[in-house]
Amino acid sequence: MFRFQSLDEDCTLEEEDDGLIEEEDEIDQFNDDTFGAGAIDDDWQEEHKRLAGLDKKDELTAGDDESADPRSPLDNRLSLPPLGFSSSSALQSGDVEDKVSEGGLAESLARLILEADPAVAGVGAAERPAVPSPGSTSVFPSLHGLLSQSTSVQQQQQRLSSAPPPAPMLSYQQQQHLLRRGTAPIGQMNSHSIWENSLGFGPVSVPPGLVTHMEDSPLMSIIKEVGLPKRPPRSDEGPDLSERVPPPRSSSPVIGSPPVRAVPIGTPPKQPMSHTLNHQIHHPTAVHVRAPVQHRFPAPFPERLSPNTLLNIANSPLCRSPFPPRVGPVLSQIQRAQLLNSQVAGFPRGAPGLLPGGGGFRPFFGGHPPPHAHRMVPPPPLGPPNHTPIRHNTTILHPQHRRLLSQRLLSRGGDQSRPGLDRRSRDPYSNLMTPKEKDWVTKIQMMQLQSTDPYLDDYYYQNYYEKMEKRQEGERDSSSRKEHTTKLITPQVAKVEHTYRPVQFAGSLGKLTVSSVNNPRKMIDAVVTSRTDDEEKREKQVWNKRRQILYTVEKMYSLLLEVQDFEKRFLQVPEEERQTLLEQHKANTEQLCSALREKEWDNRVSDEQCVMIMSVRKGKRLVSRLLPFLSTPLANAVVMAIARNFPTLAKKDKQDQVLFWLVEPVSSVIQSLSSSLLTDLLQELQGSEGQLSSVLHNKFGVTLLYLILSEGERMQSSDPNCQLMDDNRWTELVFSVTRELLSVPASSLAPPLFTPPNLLSLFSRYVDRQRLELLQDKLQISALSR
Amino acid sequence: MLMLMCVCVRLQLFYSFFKSLVGKDVVVELKNDLSICGTLHSVDQYLNIKLTDISVTDPEKYPHMLSVKNCFIRGSVVRYVQLPADEVDTQLLQDAARKEAMQQKQ
Repeated sequence: MFRFQSLDEDCTLEEEDDGLIEEEDEIDQFNDDTFGAGAIDDDWQEEHKRLAGLDKKDELTAGDDESADPRSPLDNRLSLPPLGFSSSSALQSGDVEDKVSEGGLAESLARLILEADPAVAGVGAAERPAVPSPGSTSVFPSLHGLLSQSTSVQQQQQRLSSAPPPAPMLSYQQQQHLLRRGTAPIGQMNSHSIWENSLGFGPVSVPPGLVTHMEDSPLMSIIKEVGLPKRPPRSDEGPDLSERVPPPRSSSPVIGSPPVRAVPIGTPPKQPMSHTLNHQIHHPTAVHVRAPVQHRFPAPFPERLSPNTLLNIANSPLCRSPFPPRVGPVLSQIQRAQLLNSQVAGFPRGAPGLLPGGGGFRPFFGGHPPPHAHRMVPPPPLGPPNHTPIRHNTTILHPQHRRLLSQRLLSRGGDQSRPGLDRRSRDPYSNLMTPKEKDWVTKIQMMQLQSTDPYLDDYYYQNYYEKMEKRQEGERDSSSRKEHTTKLITPQVAKVEHTYRPVQFAGSLGKLTVSSVNNPRKMIDAVVTSRTDDEEKREKQVWNKRRQILYTVEKMYSLLLEVQDFEKRFLQVPEEERQTLLEQHKANTEQLCSALREKEWDNRVSDEQCVMIMSVRKGKRLVSRLLPFLSTPLANAVVMAIARNFPTLAKKDKQDQVLFWLVEPVSSVIQSLSSSLLTDLLQELQGSEGQLSSVLHNKFGVTLLYLILSEGERMQSSDPNCQLMDDNRWTELVFSVTRELLSVPASSLAPPLFTPPNLLSLFSRYVDRQRLELLQDKLQISALSR
Repeated sequence: MLMLMCVCVRLQLFYSFFKSLVGKDVVVELKNDLSICGTLHSVDQYLNIKLTDISVTDPEKYPHMLSVKNCFIRGSVVRYVQLPADEVDTQLLQDAARKEAMQQKQ
């Protein structure tokens, strides 16, 4: 008994609306249209009075006893079947929903209503408990009023409250509460509450304005079910991906900027995006969206799946695929995702038997990066299944280093790989980036590590491991592994110099600020002024002496480093440049030597200068490293200077105690000394009175002494014709030494760094047996060390 | 890209240095006073550090770290890195610093 009206007919309402219609006629017309022919035409105010009065007596009864004819449609309408409310008696559920399901209108309506009226939001919450029809009955007349008039709520309120006995005003929340509880003393409701009430029932919730535009039926079914599942008719907006990818790089102006490659390396890769992803991002709605999983499968495989979708897929029974992931053409979405994952870092998505491993940041368990010194990025995983080589490790390790690490890992990692396996089974953050994107990021980072001269840029690392290798080789026997002088080869790229020249136009004032990423603008217009050496010298005099020394030492150091590297560079450099390099080397050496001399024209090594340098700890180190590079006469001179000024040196070294650095180079120098020089050296060492004792008190001194003596002994024993004995000096000197040794109390005798073995034989030449034994005890030279 | 290159082409010294320490045990003290002991897994040119097998050295007043086994530390939040002394060649480090200074001048 409903006159169900189509949407077309609905439109006639609008048309009629345009004209000037009398209110009364409108009311009637609306009533008929809305409620159907069965609508009552009486005065609603009367009705309301009646009903209100009735209601006052009878609070919670069902409306059955009340049901008069005029009310039956009401009851029907408002008795709330689960889908409940229809404003017209016409509306029994079924048709309405069909109507509603017609797409966009319903959705937009729903949104509008939901946004517009907070009460509507409560509709879903204030679900379908049966509202007593007494409440319902009273609503009807008010319904009329509401629908017919576009009056404000307050007006309604006035109207209504005038009719029934004045009702206390209940707040909205209270009303809702009552509604929900199902006990609604209608008489107490004012229009405001009625409005909300009616919202609870449904059809009345339509804001008056809306009625004119649409039919109630679609509205109501929208309202009754707040959560409309959004169908994938949104798929037409799928390929709108361009917002994800930044626009292509603007090319920088040609003037003054480095040439821009067609596709600068900084451009992120373009990739196809999953339309579902887009869907989620670009269409957030207040309405709950249940993205149906089923709809995704037919779609072409997107390279990237969000973790959520992947998890959904993984949880689906499709996950248990009978096929191993490596079977190419039969790959389904999941399997491909799995393969992707496994390529990245190995990822068992719940399916057993796949490549083990985990995603995301993984600890350094179970495997070292594959040895590829000649490639930038390590290849896809190989090796035993339990190993998880890390793809993202872009550090290229020295072969020595790698060996060490792998040794360490094998000892540690065996027991750890097991528990790790379980931990890795579910990584929701894997697969967020495609491999292309990863490569792109890696490329950018590796750009900074490219260098023309890895030896220079990576100085510490390279040298450290070379030294370690040498050390290890020294420990092992040198026969093995001679061919294995491992070298770290890093990819070498020609360095492109990007000098920035600001854009300038002739005759313009100032500089333009045309900047892009490839040539950023200059922040500071600073000019580098380098001071000449003369000025520096003058300024130096202002500083105190120590700083001067340090400065000199540093300068020498830089020269020394260049000299040290000369050989290596000489080999690397092509033929043409070798000459220049050689010359440079010579110049460096010359400079070094001149630094040791006090005055430029004086060929002798200045004692003072040497001592000055060596008064600083750094200087001693410098000299020790410098000595091998000096020419023989210079080196000898230096050693002489050391011996001569020994007490001073010893005194200055009291704090540092690092004179022993000098032992090795000095010993090599001594061993190349001639006999006369040696004697001279010994003499110098003894020097004036008391010097020898100080020598003996000092560790380095004793060592030095021993060195000299043993060298003399070596000379004597090896070469019978040696001239050491020609003049008596040597003998005398040795005598005095022995005398001193004997007289010096044993406690104050400093232990040497090492005792040359042939000392005993030396002493045996010069001293008698008794003294020899004494010496032996004192110096703890065992007879065996002969 | 130029800007990226400016950052670190010249400051390879510590990157090189830390690279040689990969695999050793270090203690990293952060600017928020948290000290983390662990094995140095890797380092990059920004001196970001990845540590494995970490433990918080101070008495565990950072209980949220109890379950953490591996971590990635952004280089800018590091205050100190405590190293094993025998793994460092100070002379070589000095030389490397001198070379870097020479390079900077040029």
